[in-house]
Amino acid sequence: MQGYARAAALCVLGGANAMNQQQADIVIVGGGGAGLRAAIAAAESNPGLDILLLSKVYPMRSHTVAAEGGCAGVIQAHDSLDAHFDDTVAGGDWLCDQDVVDYFVRHATEENLRLEHWGCPWSRKPDGSINVRAFGGMQIERTWFAADKTGFHILHTLFQTSLKYPGIRRCDEYFCTDLLVEDGHCAGLLAIDMRSGEQTLIAASAVILATGGAARVYRYNTNGGIVTGDGMALAYRQGVPLRDMEFVQYHPTGLPGSGILITEAARGEGGVLTNREGYRYLQDYGLGPETPPGQPQNKQMELGPRDRLSQAFWHEEQAGRTVATERGAAVHLDLRHLGEQHIQERLPFIRDLARTYINVDAVHEPIPVRPTAHYTMGGIQTDRHTATCLPGLYAVGECASVGLHGANRLGSNSLAELSVFGRLAGEQAAERAAQGLAVDPQRLRPQAEAQAAEREALRRANGPERLAVLRDEMAGAMEAGIGIFRVPAQMTATVEKIAELKARYQQLGLKDGSHAFNTEWLQAIELGFLLDVAEAMSHAALARQESRGSHQRPEDFPARNDALFLRHSLARQQQGGATEVSWQDVVITRSAPGERHYGGKATGEAGR
Amino acid sequence: MSDTIELAVTRYRPEQDTQPWEQRYTVPCSDDMSVLDALNYIKDALDPSLSHRWSCRMAICGSCGVMVNGEPKLSCKTFLRDYREAGVLEVRALDNLPVERDLVADISGVVEHIEAVKPWLIRHSEPPVDTAHSQTPAQMARYHAFSQCINCALCYAACPQFGRNPAFLGPAALTLAQRYNLDSRDEGSSERMPWLNAEEGVWSCTFVGYCSEVCPKDVDPASAINRGKVASDINYGVNLFRLLRGKGDA
Amino acid sequence: MRKPWQPQQPRNWWLRNPAYRRYMLREATALPLLLYTLLLLAGIVQFSRGEAAFATWLSWLQTPAGLLLQGIALAAALLHAVTWVALVPKILVIDSDRLRIDPRHVLRAHQLGALAGNLGLIVATLWLLWPTGGA
Repeated sequence: MQGYARAAALCVLGGANAMNQQQADIVIVGGGGAGLRAAIAAAESNPGLDILLLSKVYPMRSHTVAAEGGCAGVIQAHDSLDAHFDDTVAGGDWLCDQDVVDYFVRHATEENLRLEHWGCPWSRKPDGSINVRAFGGMQIERTWFAADKTGFHILHTLFQTSLKYPGIRRCDEYFCTDLLVEDGHCAGLLAIDMRSGEQTLIAASAVILATGGAARVYRYNTNGGIVTGDGMALAYRQGVPLRDMEFVQYHPTGLPGSGILITEAARGEGGVLTNREGYRYLQDYGLGPETPPGQPQNKQMELGPRDRLSQAFWHEEQAGRTVATERGAAVHLDLRHLGEQHIQERLPFIRDLARTYINVDAVHEPIPVRPTAHYTMGGIQTDRHTATCLPGLYAVGECASVGLHGANRLGSNSLAELSVFGRLAGEQAAERAAQGLAVDPQRLRPQAEAQAAEREALRRANGPERLAVLRDEMAGAMEAGIGIFRVPAQMTATVEKIAELKARYQQLGLKDGSHAFNTEWLQAIELGFLLDVAEAMSHAALARQESRGSHQRPEDFPARNDALFLRHSLARQQQGGATEVSWQDVVITRSAPGERHYGGKATGEAGR
Repeated sequence: MSDTIELAVTRYRPEQDTQPWEQRYTVPCSDDMSVLDALNYIKDALDPSLSHRWSCRMAICGSCGVMVNGEPKLSCKTFLRDYREAGVLEVRALDNLPVERDLVADISGVVEHIEAVKPWLIRHSEPPVDTAHSQTPAQMARYHAFSQCINCALCYAACPQFGRNPAFLGPAALTLAQRYNLDSRDEGSSERMPWLNAEEGVWSCTFVGYCSEVCPKDVDPASAINRGKVASDINYGVNLFRLLRGKGDA
Repeated sequence: MRKPWQPQQPRNWWLRNPAYRRYMLREATALPLLLYTLLLLAGIVQFSRGEAAFATWLSWLQTPAGLLLQGIALAAALLHAVTWVALVPKILVIDSDRLRIDPRHVLRAHQLGALAGNLGLIVATLWLLWPTGGA
């Protein structure tokens, strides 16, 4: 079965349009941590499979590379899986599926160790054993790290390890534009070979989406230019629900202006946040009492969860206590008391970033920081085995909502998620591929050609609207309406604005009509993806009439409402294009919803 | 400051052009604007047909390498303020590589070289799933700098030997081989030795050393390659000794 | 529809930036040293031809051309030695579980070794040639 699938690329001339055609057992879209881990898992579970890793960038460019602080996994003797479970569920404001969290905490350490076996240079203690650091919202140190380039090392380790499996081949710089669905099954996809601009039909028994997040819908974000919600929109357009899209994490410490990420590890190592008066303002927001500088206490002050810290900044800004910089309001992240040697050993990249981009040496000056959009907790709805409701389609990593993060993700849980669920997705897809469900590519040609013609029409579009203008208006509207705090009038305005932008998108005009590496064309397709994601986010935000985790509505619904909203939101695109929001129950196994305790209250009664 | 700076960008559009040509753009210039910001400004406001790669904006993804006034640079980590004196910035695709279009170099050959040297941890036996190899900070320090490579290919643009002979495995690939050879957990150096010893391996390097100067991550590939020469020499000596002893026994 | 532009390495690539020019200067030190070697070879040939021929050779060494060639050769040899020794710590890294030597010490040892070797040669030469010394 797999032998026949291993067909070389062949060019079929169909009418006027040439379209390349390939077949594989499994196609993985996205070459970041989750996609690579899935590819390796599929190759290990069935070495005979033909696994195609398709990505719009070379795998080592994927945004996993920019993760800095670390990767969770219980390893210390006085820590426990229950404690990691409790921290994650409470951190997610009880919107996590607890069976999924259970599976996750049980497998995280094993996956971190496997990365170690593959060569990942985890930072060590002097005796040669694995070192761990403190992280926000975690009651015990369990964040594995590789200095402050953890994502970089994980990504390169996975990429380099993937090279040893002959079953894994790659289509680098191929841009997936559409999923192909036949008889109710996902049967492949359509992609543009970016170098030539040619469209390629790829038929497969299973498709795994591992395309990452979508924080590029915001003006100020920590994300790379490639993080445009492609996979989310691809699934959404096929009627697959996007779940919990209203939950967008603002990272409390990005550089003002650019939004470049300054890792939470800076606080885990003992950095403190101060306002313009030099006061550690977090103690005013339920995170105190103040801890001595350089001696961070788990779940207290600077080690509170990200949603709370970002919200505290917003209040400080309203009260006029932030620092004015030429790049906008900020607070100070002060590392000076850690000393040059410690900073250079544990946070060398942070020091380099601050020096390069804002001309601040963290050894001698505090770093100005502010919250910036960072992570989408929600994503493509999957079951706890990463399968979507569309048979043959799997989703994993930031583009997916497997049910792990709830309403607020804890730092260092997402890198571990890539491995734990990436592996699961690879194994699930391999199992499906072994059943030989592949569709003959010829049967997919009619719909592929229709979709290819649409993409071609976009390339030649000559309407009055400008790409950059629409993109900036979208990002501004999302920042205003679906930001850290959400007020009803602005949310409604954003929903309307996105609808308007989607209409104007149809009037787009592109200047570059060429094929080869036409990035204007690709950016226009990405903008289409972003608008779909923005639509799902804004509708879900409007529908959730409560405040929970990263979704805060202080004016109209300031409190959590478990009676009505202890449920996942599902945003679905209807046939006519309208968005409908429905609800799905949260899986609760052993932790009943309670109050989130941080600061002094956290000690003794964490979570339960 | 509302001053401006001129960018002279080498364009090449395969569907229209027979050879590269220069196009000039005037862009705003402020102290914190990078060359990447300038290119994105051109793309958004002046000329959407200009193609360049970029993603992370923080010098870790390795996408945005270009030549700036003749030097290989990450455009996101190179600032307009440093070229105010020069007046004009010449920007072109990375040297020594085929140009796909405009500022987009074809790095597939470089990636193939990286793949060739078996850049993964090779062990004769797998450790138990629930334990980590021991590795002290001192042991890690031996390969740590060589593990910092972001595959941006600036070193290939800097290497005249690679420019002369694209079959030369080049700085990043040979450094990666050394990164694993020097890892206390690895047992695969003998499997990588044929690549070091090959015509296209370490001996094609003449220690120009410019690769290490342009590396944005202080990896020092020149050092890695030339330490590879020492390893290759030792390997040659050991093999010769074995061969002679083998003959003596016969 | 791909049509990548294939750049050719220009003949004058080594003039394109200071790093290449420094490299070429280092490599070019081989030329004066080659000429100096030929000069020494000529001396041996002349020596084998008899005292008069050798004297001609010796007197040529004192002409401006001879002095210039020797001066350039000396400068080239020094430049080569200095740049080469400076690279040693990047090549000879002594760092294992059993033995670790600071790269600065490796550099210093090579500098001292080069200095001692050259001084030794000069002293030995002077001692051999000194009218009262030697055999």
